[in-house]
Amino acid sequence: MTRPFLSIRAVRKAFGAFVAVHDVTIDVPKGEFLTFLGPSGSGKSTTLYAIAGFQDPTSGDVLLEDKSLLAVPSHRRNIGMVFQRYTLFPHLSVAENVAFPLRVRGRPDSEVRRKVADMLALVRLESFAGRYPGALSGGQQQRVALARALAYDPPILLMDEPLSALDKKLRQEIQAEIRRIHRETGVTILYVTHDQEEALHLSDRIALFKEGRIEQIGTGEDLYLRPASEFVAGFIGNSNFLTAEHLETENGTAVVRLADGSIIKGVKATHALGHGQKARLMVRPEAFRLMPAPGNASLAVEIVDTAFFGDRRRVVARTGSGEEIDVRPTSDTAEPGDADSASGQQIFFDPAAAFLFPA
Amino acid sequence: MQGNSLRRRSIAGLPAGSGGALPALTLVGLFFIVPVVALLLRSVTDPEPGLQNYAALFGSGTYVRVFLNTFLVAAVVTVVTIIVAFPVAWMLAIMPPALGSIVFGIIILSMWTNLLTRTYAWMVLLQRTGVINRALMGLGIIHEPLPLINNLTGVTIGMVYIMLPFMILPLVGTLRAIDAMTLRAAALCGASPLQAFRRILLPLSLPGIAAGGLMVFVMSLGYFVTPALLGGTSNMMLAEMIAQTVQSLLNWGLGSAAAFVLLVVTMALYAIQLRMVGARRLGGGL
Repeated sequence: MTRPFLSIRAVRKAFGAFVAVHDVTIDVPKGEFLTFLGPSGSGKSTTLYAIAGFQDPTSGDVLLEDKSLLAVPSHRRNIGMVFQRYTLFPHLSVAENVAFPLRVRGRPDSEVRRKVADMLALVRLESFAGRYPGALSGGQQQRVALARALAYDPPILLMDEPLSALDKKLRQEIQAEIRRIHRETGVTILYVTHDQEEALHLSDRIALFKEGRIEQIGTGEDLYLRPASEFVAGFIGNSNFLTAEHLETENGTAVVRLADGSIIKGVKATHALGHGQKARLMVRPEAFRLMPAPGNASLAVEIVDTAFFGDRRRVVARTGSGEEIDVRPTSDTAEPGDADSASGQQIFFDPAAAFLFPA
Repeated sequence: MQGNSLRRRSIAGLPAGSGGALPALTLVGLFFIVPVVALLLRSVTDPEPGLQNYAALFGSGTYVRVFLNTFLVAAVVTVVTIIVAFPVAWMLAIMPPALGSIVFGIIILSMWTNLLTRTYAWMVLLQRTGVINRALMGLGIIHEPLPLINNLTGVTIGMVYIMLPFMILPLVGTLRAIDAMTLRAAALCGASPLQAFRRILLPLSLPGIAAGGLMVFVMSLGYFVTPALLGGTSNMMLAEMIAQTVQSLLNWGLGSAAAFVLLVVTMALYAIQLRMVGARRLGGGL
């Protein structure tokens, strides 16, 4: 078995009685783009800070190529980092900001100049070398910060919500830049965000944090298609949760009764549930269809609203028990007139594509 | 009626309501501008018209020495004040606000305490048989009392103590404006604490150091009480010399010339600082 490149072992961080991170363990292979995703206060940034050396963990260890980082002060860890806030040095030009890590390492001038030119080319800001940070836009500042963090070829690059201060269009642009830079440099990236779309777009793997623990770790597809819990299902992608009662499980499929009394058979049974136990049935909006297909379950609904967006349509339906459902049929099933025919008050879904979680 | 009078004022070029500033402006006019002009006139007319007072001032080795000594003391006091104030200002800047305002209050409180009282207290502490010398001898660290008073050391200690708040206040403002994340970024970039201080924190706090430093330097140039009480005769400062010239020698012309030179130097320094701060702002760095 190959040793992990970066190993976070049972890292725990307590602030007095409050435990911000509970025994988080992750192995990161070299070159991976791993995202820590989670709501604010879920411990993702605290875990990142333990790697950066800003906060010593209460217990646990962080190993880089088998050597513990904990005894090494921040400035000797040789780790790159891009921060949420703009942290360029305001009194230094763009070129001198990028040169800073090389200057403090005492590298010769010729090397510094060459490296700064390379880095500014990497983030496509060659013509801004002489400007000062105050004269740059937020997106440009973060690209300079990226160049500065990569200038000394760090084995790991930490990114702490680097795009959260930018508007949506700029965010997407820089996401594409980050992907390209990850491809071109092959640097191992640990990325913190609370934005699930950003996580899905960028990452090889996502570690979803909840209350200081990793709820699930896997590829975006894993988390989307095989959510381990209701929290994961609710956090990644869009989802509808219906109140349900578990009746029985047979051959790995469960039978549930929904709040409106309808019986749904053939739901994947991923959790052991008892008879009559309260549960939540999760169905993705795009799993609903307006036309029946073989093996589909049906729901009697009232169509509350329907909107057409060109590439998709969105229907808001309400069940007999008053629960609202977000329905976004994929384009192949969304033919003109579908919504009207649904005024027959039925929508359909494949029960095998639904998830059942204990309530 | 009222609108009419408002318009009349704006025609005069003054914003409405500036009538309230009249008493203060009168005070400054009568008791600052007029005396300064009188001072200038006296320095070139007393005892007879001409520049002989200035010639005497710059021609005499004694007076030039007093000038040089004044600048030396002011410079030493400024440098020591900056060095002593910086850690305090930094501590205040990173302290939790509630605790910070308490410490701030204590520093301000010292400014409200009578200057003469504080200087006499230093005399008691610093003299040959004072608390400091006796304590050091009692601990066996020294065998002879240290000469801490009536010399440059005494003046520096006393003045630095008086000047500290004037350095700390502007410096705290500048340091608070520096994002602590910038220093974390510097550390992750590989800067040791010393490198981060020298290359990042110090340059970023320069505006505060310049503002506080100039204030301390200018105030020190004209300081009277503390140098007079804690200093020695061999390192007399300008204010003391002016007092002696006027009070003992009754030479108003020479005293006026010395005072005027001090005023011009002070204003020149202030102008330089304004230019420096202005240029920094224009540079867009901060």
